[in-house]
Amino acid sequence: MTVEALEQGFAQEREIAAFARAGVLRRLARDRVAATAGLVLTVIVFAALFAPWITPYDPYFTDLTKVMQPPDAEHWFGTDNTGRDILTRVIYGTRNTLMLGLVGVIVGGFIGGVLGILAAYYRRLDGWIMRLVDVMLAFPAILIGLAVAAIFGAGLTAVVIALVVATVPDVARVARGAAIGVMGQEFMEAGRAVGVSDGELIWRYLTLNCISTIFVFLTLRFGQIILIGAALGFLGMGAQPPTAELGMMAAQGRDFLFMAPHIATIPSCAIFVIVLAANLLGDAFRDVLDPRLQT
Amino acid sequence: MSDAPVLQVDRLVKHFAVTRGLIRRKVIGLVRAVEDVSFEIARGETLALVGESGCGKSTTGRLILRLMDPTSGSVRFKGQEIANLDKDSLRRMRRHMQIIFQDPYASLNPRMTVGEILAEPLRVHEIGDDASREARGRELLEIVGLLPEHARRYPHQFSGGQRQRIGIARALAANPDLIVCDEPVSALDVSIQAQIVNLLQNLQQRFGLSYLFIAHDLAVVKHISDRVAVMYLGKLVEIADKKTLYDRPLHPYTQALLAAIPKPDPALRTKRVMLQGDVPSPFRPPTGCRFHTRCPHAQARCSAEEPTLREAAPGHRVACHFFETLPIPTIIARAGLANGKFAERLAAFEAAKAARVPG
Repeated sequence: MTVEALEQGFAQEREIAAFARAGVLRRLARDRVAATAGLVLTVIVFAALFAPWITPYDPYFTDLTKVMQPPDAEHWFGTDNTGRDILTRVIYGTRNTLMLGLVGVIVGGFIGGVLGILAAYYRRLDGWIMRLVDVMLAFPAILIGLAVAAIFGAGLTAVVIALVVATVPDVARVARGAAIGVMGQEFMEAGRAVGVSDGELIWRYLTLNCISTIFVFLTLRFGQIILIGAALGFLGMGAQPPTAELGMMAAQGRDFLFMAPHIATIPSCAIFVIVLAANLLGDAFRDVLDPRLQT
Repeated sequence: MSDAPVLQVDRLVKHFAVTRGLIRRKVIGLVRAVEDVSFEIARGETLALVGESGCGKSTTGRLILRLMDPTSGSVRFKGQEIANLDKDSLRRMRRHMQIIFQDPYASLNPRMTVGEILAEPLRVHEIGDDASREARGRELLEIVGLLPEHARRYPHQFSGGQRQRIGIARALAANPDLIVCDEPVSALDVSIQAQIVNLLQNLQQRFGLSYLFIAHDLAVVKHISDRVAVMYLGKLVEIADKKTLYDRPLHPYTQALLAAIPKPDPALRTKRVMLQGDVPSPFRPPTGCRFHTRCPHAQARCSAEEPTLREAAPGHRVACHFFETLPIPTIIARAGLANGKFAERLAAFEAAKAARVPG
């Protein structure tokens, strides 16, 4: 084979590889629901990131001359019972809520993933790890949140701990299931026969082959985490006033539901939109990444 | 062939404990997967290990490579005992003994390119630098009949036969002396089987490899092996060189296995000895001779006393009390190298090769 032909072959291979990498995003974009959900979530995330620059008012500025005003041109989402601009507070609240969800998913996903994979790799740890996970699973997240809040005082930290504890056992189970499937494959044995060390086997052979399953599970889980976080906020275990947090805002608006329904409903709608978009995107990721669903 | 065997397996035993209980695990029984298996393999030799599914042949292969720890017994590789090696020495040992797996779709890590897969054994054992490993990868691909530029691709971009070639290339990477082939062709199409078997034979001649060839397809075994060991329920029942075993099998189980090979001649069909019943569970193996529940010649002594491997002729050992007096069945594998479709393919393949490369 001549050098030119070889070079041509390499160029072709590089193209194929690039196409394969573009595949996931491309396939996501082709799915209209997923594309819309992704777009909505992106807008929300950017709004939350750049909250100080795009919000028209100060989230803590109370204007007692304009309390409980319904939405108008000046205050798009109206004002709450102390005259604070609800649009501004929803954007800041989204910031806190998303942060809670992300931290819960990332930290909980990491701990759960490590536990699950170790349980699958070291079979003698399996019993211990999974019983620990069962114990964690037995407590509802709300209850853990209440307990943590009782010990350390209510606040975002208590919610984050509760969310992490709520995420770990589910992720550990999913990760363990995926990892046990991979462990049964002959390439694990091949790696061992070649002499690959335990650490490398765990990372390059085992973890990389079940990470997409875990990722899909976490994207689906993200919506639920946000919901639990908001529920804790609603119960008063989460962010404390005057901090803006969607669940807590909905809880405060509840008192004025008949006089000014927008105070409670608008933050609730924001939660609804975020959770729905996250779930739809998670679904789409599952379809795209799950090798069993690929043709 | 030098005299010192590459591999000596002596009284190898593997029991799997069946446990019950959540906290205090109690052993409620043992699955006797491999029981008292001994054989040796010389340099450049192929020993085939045949038997039904679940008879412990794959377990034996994994015990030899210490992918599993034996319950007792010894495995000596070039005179060195490996059954009790510590973790580090074992890892160093691994470059000399390799394995080819049955399922080419499961035996390659889908997250690594073919180049990375082939460089892995060299990287692990710190042989050469990145450039030389890459060069070695390309060389290996050519040796097994693929193109050097395939190194950049991922396993899923190949067919089953090509993947099996990659698996073979990986096994060759660090220049091993012994390769355990765990049913390397039984997941492949018949046409591809012939190619892979031929490749394995060529590599053996070229690099002086020893094979432990685990298989259940006796036609393939007949083509590739020098000696054949037959296993039943974890025990060796007969071991002999290929010609002896196929021409004059002495153990009733071997006779039944050979009779089960499909024959192209319809006149021979009626004389088949069919085995009755299923393989008993290795959890509760039968007393005495493990084969007595299905043996057409079983007598009282067979269920009471366990037969040992006895020498029938030099190099031909049989574990049966009565092999001297058993009737010789009207056998069996007819003339020709192998039977059936596989043989036809093999012949066609050889002819094509001869036509392409004169001499």
